[in-house]
Amino acid sequence: MKRYRNLSIRQKQVVWAWGFLALPILFYVVIRFYPTFNAIVLSFQSWNLLGPREWVGLENYVKLWHDPVFWKVFRNTFVYLILGTPISLVLSFVIAYQLDKTRLLHGTLRALYFLPFLTSTVAMAWVWRWFYQPVPIGLFNNFLASLGFAQVNFLNSTSNALPSILIPAIWAGLGFQIIIFMAGLRAIPTSYYEAARIDGVSGWTILWEITLPLLKPTIVFLVVFSSIGFLRIFDQVFNMTTNNPGGPLDSTKPLVLMIYQTAFSSFDMGYAAAQTVVLFAILLTVSLVQLRILREKP
Amino acid sequence: MATLSLHNLVKAYGKTEVLHGINLDVADGEFVVFVGPSGCGKSTTLRMIAGLEDVSGGEVRIGGAVVNHLEPKDRNIAMVFQNYAIYPHMSVRKNIGFGLRTAKMPKADKEKRIEEVAAILSMTEYLDRKPAQLSGGQRQRVAIGRAMVRDPAVFLFDEPLSNLDAQLRTQMRLEIKKLHQRVGTTIIFVTHDQVEAMTMADRIVIMKDGHIQQVGTPAEVFHQPANAFVAQFIGAPSMNMLQGRITADGIEVAGRVIARKTPGAVGSAVTVGIRPDDLRVTPDAGSFAGRVSVLEPLGAETLAYVDIGGQEVVARADGRTPPPLRAQVHLTVDPANLHLFDAEGVAIR
Repeated sequence: MKRYRNLSIRQKQVVWAWGFLALPILFYVVIRFYPTFNAIVLSFQSWNLLGPREWVGLENYVKLWHDPVFWKVFRNTFVYLILGTPISLVLSFVIAYQLDKTRLLHGTLRALYFLPFLTSTVAMAWVWRWFYQPVPIGLFNNFLASLGFAQVNFLNSTSNALPSILIPAIWAGLGFQIIIFMAGLRAIPTSYYEAARIDGVSGWTILWEITLPLLKPTIVFLVVFSSIGFLRIFDQVFNMTTNNPGGPLDSTKPLVLMIYQTAFSSFDMGYAAAQTVVLFAILLTVSLVQLRILREKP
Repeated sequence: MATLSLHNLVKAYGKTEVLHGINLDVADGEFVVFVGPSGCGKSTTLRMIAGLEDVSGGEVRIGGAVVNHLEPKDRNIAMVFQNYAIYPHMSVRKNIGFGLRTAKMPKADKEKRIEEVAAILSMTEYLDRKPAQLSGGQRQRVAIGRAMVRDPAVFLFDEPLSNLDAQLRTQMRLEIKKLHQRVGTTIIFVTHDQVEAMTMADRIVIMKDGHIQQVGTPAEVFHQPANAFVAQFIGAPSMNMLQGRITADGIEVAGRVIARKTPGAVGSAVTVGIRPDDLRVTPDAGSFAGRVSVLEPLGAETLAYVDIGGQEVVARADGRTPPPLRAQVHLTVDPANLHLFDAEGVAIR
């Protein structure tokens, strides 16, 4: 105690800071860093969850490289990312931009858009799954049939299934992105727009030269955040294709679902760990590249 | 360049009227300052002239034409905002040039115009910098530059100096005045600072609660205030306001007759305004006697707060030989320098 009292104010602050930081650091080491490290080690081993762990070197990675399912899944994951991120960002920006100008029912509309974000993904996936069913159950097909159109095979077609799953996934994230965009829009001083009005530039110029550049920090955040979300997509796919997860014919299967199946259906933990390391590498690369591109000096 | 006139200008938000019929004629090339406490409607008036606020009633005319329903861009005005409204992601050059975006002139001419304006504002060497790399005063110049580049008929300034520190404010005040003398464009300048108003304006418009209190040159509003509000608002420190009475002998304040005139019915109350500058501290007999309660030394002069018969007044005393604190002193005032106001606060002339 006497020793503590003799410390300078700065040193006391350091002691307290580390005192508070110790717990989360310990937590992170046990819950995050140790398993991460363990997974990397495991990716060079063969293990069925019960037996002994055996070193197999790069075998898991070689197997992955030659696994056609992996490449299919790899492609799917990037389709989720490449379609999902831009579509959801453009949609949420357009909605936020218009909502920002709306006075009438502003709160209600904002709440309606935010609602899906609060809903459990499982519940939502099952409701959408019902929407997509054939006549006479599915909402969409009933509607099409009532107008005299042919039925659409939403979830049972290898070409339609992935977009059909992507739509609710985009919709689910929209509310959050709209809120963030609106906060970004609100932070732009109105005098910027008023000055532009006096200068007489067009609405299009204001959007491209004032609004969007000033929203850049918001856009960077949302691009990274939403990309990570789409790269890790799982619950929507798993719940909307429960009979044959990732099907039909792996056409909707994302990397996380493949990892899940390898680990907890095939119990090939080493192989699953190798896939996890690949996913980790992808997430890290994509995030860093995006930050690099979008964070260029204003 | 153009004249500007406001005719019975009214602004209402729903049922709440905030401007109650403003009438004003501004001559071509005139520098007019709107001044008043916050919420008096001065910024609203400016924004209505700019076209950023709808006109609820009355007319705004620029160069003789009614512009009530014209978009801001079609009014041939330029505005400088309190927070400058310069774009942080654009260079100074792009910021100044932003006002020329829609101008139908060749690119080379635009560049030339930007260079000219930058030269006038001594910003040439900063043209390729971003606003974040500029000081407050330089940002202010960029904002003025963006307004100037379009060569508008009327310049509107909305409290442009209030974000600057005191020293810079004095400097920019001078620069804007010089700029006006140089370019000669009509300027409407809004401020809450009466010193800014006095130092810059050709004419001052003093507003309160959505009404114009007085319009006049700085000398007029200072020496012949139309009412007690103007008298107290203009001039620092504020004019002393003393409660007096008109007697058969003249105007009586704190038990003494200080002026031998009867500007109203004998027995009626009158407010006597005396500027601190007109109230001199003298050691021997004067108009009032009292005790010095506080001294505020300002260097060249010292402000003496003197308690006379329960009313506190401020008087200017010499800076080198101020009266001692708590001393009994006399104050003299030339009766010609008294400002008299009736019970409603209207000046009695």
